[in-house]
Amino acid sequence: MDITNNKSESLWRKGEPWVWMTGASLALTLLITATLIVVVMVNGLGVFWPANLQQLQMKDGTRVMGEHIKQEPMPSGEGDRAQFKIGNREINGLDFRWINLPDVTETTEPKDAVAIEREEYGNFYGYLTGVRAPGLEGTEDQDVLDLFHQKKEVVENLEHRIEALADRIQVLSKQMQELRLEDQRLVYNGVKDEDPELLDVRRMHNALREDFTILLNQQDELRAEQARYRLLLEDANGIKIDLPLSHVVRLYQPNDMGTGSKMLFYGSKLIELFLGEPREANTEGGLFPAIFGTVMLIFLMSLVSFPMGVIAAVYLREYAKDGPVVRLVRIAVNNLAGIPSIVYGIFGLGFFVYGIGGTLDQIFYPERLPTPTMGTGGILWASLTLAILTVPVVIVSTDEALGAIPQGVREGSLALGSTKFQLLTRILLPMASPGIMTGLILSMARAAGEVAPLMITGVVKLAPSLPLDGEFPFLHLDRKFMHLGFHIYDIGFQSPNVEAAKPMVYVTTLLLVLIVLVMSSVAIHMRNKMKKKYSSGTF
Amino acid sequence: MDQKFLKRAKRNDRWARYGITLGGVSIIFCVVLILLLIAKVSVPLFLPADADVFAKFSLQGEKQDHPILTSGVDEYLETAFSIDKTGMVRFVDTRRSQLVFQKQLQSANGGKKILAIDSYGAQKFNLLWDDGSLGLIQVQFKPEFDAEGTRTIRPVIKQIKKLPTPENGIPLKSLARFHEEENRTTRVDLMQDGSLHLRQWVVQEDMLGEEEEVVQHTRLTEGRETLTAMALGTLGDILYVGTDKGELLRWQLADPEEVALTEKVDASGDGTAITALAMLLGDISVLVGDDKGRVASWFPVRKPEQGKGKFLEKIHTLKPHGAPIKQFVPSSRNKGFYSLDATGKIHLNHTTSERLLLTFEEPGKTERISASIRDNGLLAQSADGKVTIWEVDNPHPEISWTTLFGKVWYESYDEPSYSWQSSSGSDDFEPKLSLTPLIFGTIKGTVYAMLFAVPVALLGAIYTSQFASARTREMIKPTVEIMAAIPTVVIGFLAALWLAPLVEINVVAVFITFILTPFVFFGFLALWDQFRKKDQVKDLEKGNEFLVIAPIFIFSLFVAYLLGPFFEGVLFDGSFKLWLFNSAGMRYDPRNCMIIALAMGFAVIPIIFTIAEDSLSNVPKPLKAASLAVGASRWQTVARVILPSASPGIFAGTMIGFGRAIGETMIVLMATGNTAIMEWSIFNGMRPLSANIAVEIPEAPVGGTLYRVLFLSAVILFVMTFVLNTVAEVVRQRLRRKYGRF
Repeated sequence: MDITNNKSESLWRKGEPWVWMTGASLALTLLITATLIVVVMVNGLGVFWPANLQQLQMKDGTRVMGEHIKQEPMPSGEGDRAQFKIGNREINGLDFRWINLPDVTETTEPKDAVAIEREEYGNFYGYLTGVRAPGLEGTEDQDVLDLFHQKKEVVENLEHRIEALADRIQVLSKQMQELRLEDQRLVYNGVKDEDPELLDVRRMHNALREDFTILLNQQDELRAEQARYRLLLEDANGIKIDLPLSHVVRLYQPNDMGTGSKMLFYGSKLIELFLGEPREANTEGGLFPAIFGTVMLIFLMSLVSFPMGVIAAVYLREYAKDGPVVRLVRIAVNNLAGIPSIVYGIFGLGFFVYGIGGTLDQIFYPERLPTPTMGTGGILWASLTLAILTVPVVIVSTDEALGAIPQGVREGSLALGSTKFQLLTRILLPMASPGIMTGLILSMARAAGEVAPLMITGVVKLAPSLPLDGEFPFLHLDRKFMHLGFHIYDIGFQSPNVEAAKPMVYVTTLLLVLIVLVMSSVAIHMRNKMKKKYSSGTF
Repeated sequence: MDQKFLKRAKRNDRWARYGITLGGVSIIFCVVLILLLIAKVSVPLFLPADADVFAKFSLQGEKQDHPILTSGVDEYLETAFSIDKTGMVRFVDTRRSQLVFQKQLQSANGGKKILAIDSYGAQKFNLLWDDGSLGLIQVQFKPEFDAEGTRTIRPVIKQIKKLPTPENGIPLKSLARFHEEENRTTRVDLMQDGSLHLRQWVVQEDMLGEEEEVVQHTRLTEGRETLTAMALGTLGDILYVGTDKGELLRWQLADPEEVALTEKVDASGDGTAITALAMLLGDISVLVGDDKGRVASWFPVRKPEQGKGKFLEKIHTLKPHGAPIKQFVPSSRNKGFYSLDATGKIHLNHTTSERLLLTFEEPGKTERISASIRDNGLLAQSADGKVTIWEVDNPHPEISWTTLFGKVWYESYDEPSYSWQSSSGSDDFEPKLSLTPLIFGTIKGTVYAMLFAVPVALLGAIYTSQFASARTREMIKPTVEIMAAIPTVVIGFLAALWLAPLVEINVVAVFITFILTPFVFFGFLALWDQFRKKDQVKDLEKGNEFLVIAPIFIFSLFVAYLLGPFFEGVLFDGSFKLWLFNSAGMRYDPRNCMIIALAMGFAVIPIIFTIAEDSLSNVPKPLKAASLAVGASRWQTVARVILPSASPGIFAGTMIGFGRAIGETMIVLMATGNTAIMEWSIFNGMRPLSANIAVEIPEAPVGGTLYRVLFLSAVILFVMTFVLNTVAEVVRQRLRRKYGRF
């Protein structure tokens, strides 16, 4: 037989196309992954880059100003149409508009066009024609932008004073709330109306209410003062708008900005993203509460799942005698890892929220019922649910790490007279620590991306306060919280204006993907390093 | 050595052993506990109703010659009332058997005795006086709370309407209803001669805007049949009459101008007399009870083969009594009812679930029964005025195996169907809780996802473990693991808001890609065959083939994208969606099964890939080496040697991937339309169990039927994944022991 025969060299013999087919499958998988990452990156990274404002002169004489979003051929095949973000919701009704490009006679990018981010009604695109403020008569020749910046400062000072008042009001209302609860508790315990303790509580409540009213009045006065500072604006068609200066979040002239100032602008938007509060039904502003909620959730979850998982794995590997029982336990643990997360959610709702939470309410807060205190979703219940969900991950990786330690190490340690506990704490756990850390990080990554169980155990679209703050007892485990993953679902699918929300969804997605990818990369890297360490065979 | 130290070390060790053992064992219980706790919540769905005797007393007044005609009880079961033949209403405290209040009712024309009483709706009665006049009253109980919070109940008798004596004599039996919104009064009289008369008073507004009451009198039957039972809808717009021959007659009365016999059917089949009729809550179904104790519910349905309009059809058959049916008492909360037979036996039934929930029997023969207004109690009264009140606990009457998994014929539907519709705006809405469409949705989504994921993941794993160069392998494995970490909410979001609109526009291009790619692939291979020996590209065949293939995919996708509009114009008249609807009658949902297959497939690929790759790599190297040494090609080695050895691992990976796809929630929640339909079409979505739980549980009242049904669907999900995972795990452990030897 001639093995160098030309035919056997052909690609079609001996199943070589199959090999290519397997290669194609892998290529397909990697392509989809790459597409996903690229789509998220492209859409997410570009959101904060200030786009130039285009002014379109239409054939019918009207003008349109806005950011060019995308362009596509018209269904009829006659030229292209483009989607513009035209803002000015109070005039146009919608933020976005499709424009048939053949209807446009001229496109310009006027240098003095301004874009304004506002507290309500979305963005404004148009021209700044003037500033109206107390003591500003006779300064018409001054540049309006300078005037704006001067007056913006004044308004911001006023805003700080209003916020300071708001803080005091919040403290007062908190105290009043506590007194009210105390009142409720006393009444629940059957204290008579003329009881001195109850009278005292009520008297204090009334005193606080007086202070409260005074502060509220002061706040109103400041607001009225603030409302006297206004911006005079005109849109592309010359329609005038009178905007209170306090509503302006950010004013910029994108057509007049160089690359440097655009980068600065990008930076300031990023800072707002990480540290700011969400605005406009979560579609604008920052993600701070969601980021904080996610981190806090992961932290609380790790506090529970880490010890639980490690103890269980140590028991399985070092203490339990190998046999059918241990095999059963392993099956059970792997099963736990495969149970759908929504089933965990249902379990969390039935067991933690209504079961334990409801019981706690009956024991400690009977006077507040039927309003639940602990018997409703909250960060504690959500993190406990996630802890049960992620315990198998920790168990499996700890178990594997302990299993990878050569038997000789154990025998050596015991032969030198150590107890089993000493062996465990001084030899085995330190040696297995990279593996344990890997499990912990993987479980954290899973928790960061899991949404379904949270939806029924306490995540909300907008939490009024963080679960951790300066108020006694500082950590409020009963509070509801926000979460990046749920944020994506909420603003992408529950928002009234999905088109306007899309940029924010992409940014949130990018952030979440980055967090999860970084965490899992670290875990995988650590695991690979550990594998190498043991496979090289030091012992 | 320091003895103290040794002692402490030993003590620590002992405590640690206890602690760790306890911790480990408790983890095992966790699995069991989760299942038990979820199951515990759903178990009450299947428990029968429960009833306790709340009170027993005698209602009979001092005058024995004035028998009681009707009786009832309030929602707290604390105050019962009776109306006797003289029109005296007595209210009795049930726990102390004490008369608390009484009131004499008056007839419109001076009648002294009541001939008959018919009750309907919320403690409403019409009283036929011996002068032929009719009084419509409602007994109400108004709870009042005093300063200490003690509850007292004040009975009120509300006069709804008084109707005059008919001009053609004093009837034997009368039914009357008042429709408040339309201001219409309906009265049906069964006369001494057996004829049936209808009178309807309608308030009409004339041209000057003055209101005037107009009466319309219709003779419904001539008295040739013997009428044995009547039921009139609570608004007076539908009338059912049963005869001694077992016939059921139906009249629509909503339009007084056009009243005619709508339908006449043989309800018994064997000429047995109908002895009781009643309308269920919602006035759609009529309950028919006959002389042989059989009970069935009927309602009109559309039957195109029999002509226009609706025709009566026997829908649900309930467990029969042993004796003639005497009385029906429909529930005021659901489609359930009580039925009383001539021997005094009482059944509590539910029509839709066809369940007999409870049987009551009292030693004293029960003459009539009534339910409390909130349907939480039953009052049974014997001929001598002895009364028993039960507190009835009947939380989930509508649930049975049939309603959960089978086809059910719901009211207003033309045929039995599997449907899920848990809530609606109206009060008399019946929740439709069939889990079948949801299980179908779960399976449909999973199957399509697996069709995509399994081949791609397995082939990819084979390539990575067997053909790829070592360096490539070291990069691919972490990449796939990182892929597994991408949150499903991200995948779902991209599938729904980025991919779905893209596919919707280019749906034809997607199909072209499917057809085009194999051609391009093989065309490329033919081309490659010519160049593979060239030095520049030779190395690519040593484990870097996938790098060459990737651009081929992009190329074929791009060509398909360009060709898409052309083919759409030629083959589908310019719009595929319209063409699909017109020619196949199928709707195209933007969020459909193709999107789900791709998105969910993408989510499970890494799981299948990782496990399959592990088991392929763990096949002992000598096997491979031996195969190659005897001259097998690299594909022959893989197909005949490696794959069979690794097949248990591949099977396990597929099972685990399957389990993951079943439970996946966020992707299906975001990227399907969430409509509970049962079609295999790839162009529409579905509603799987997991997404259904996420959507419905926030609105489900704790402890309610929906809440428990959702827990039951969680149990189903648990069991499905548990079975898959256990099978996979057992196979994997076998495998591990088998190859542990090498």
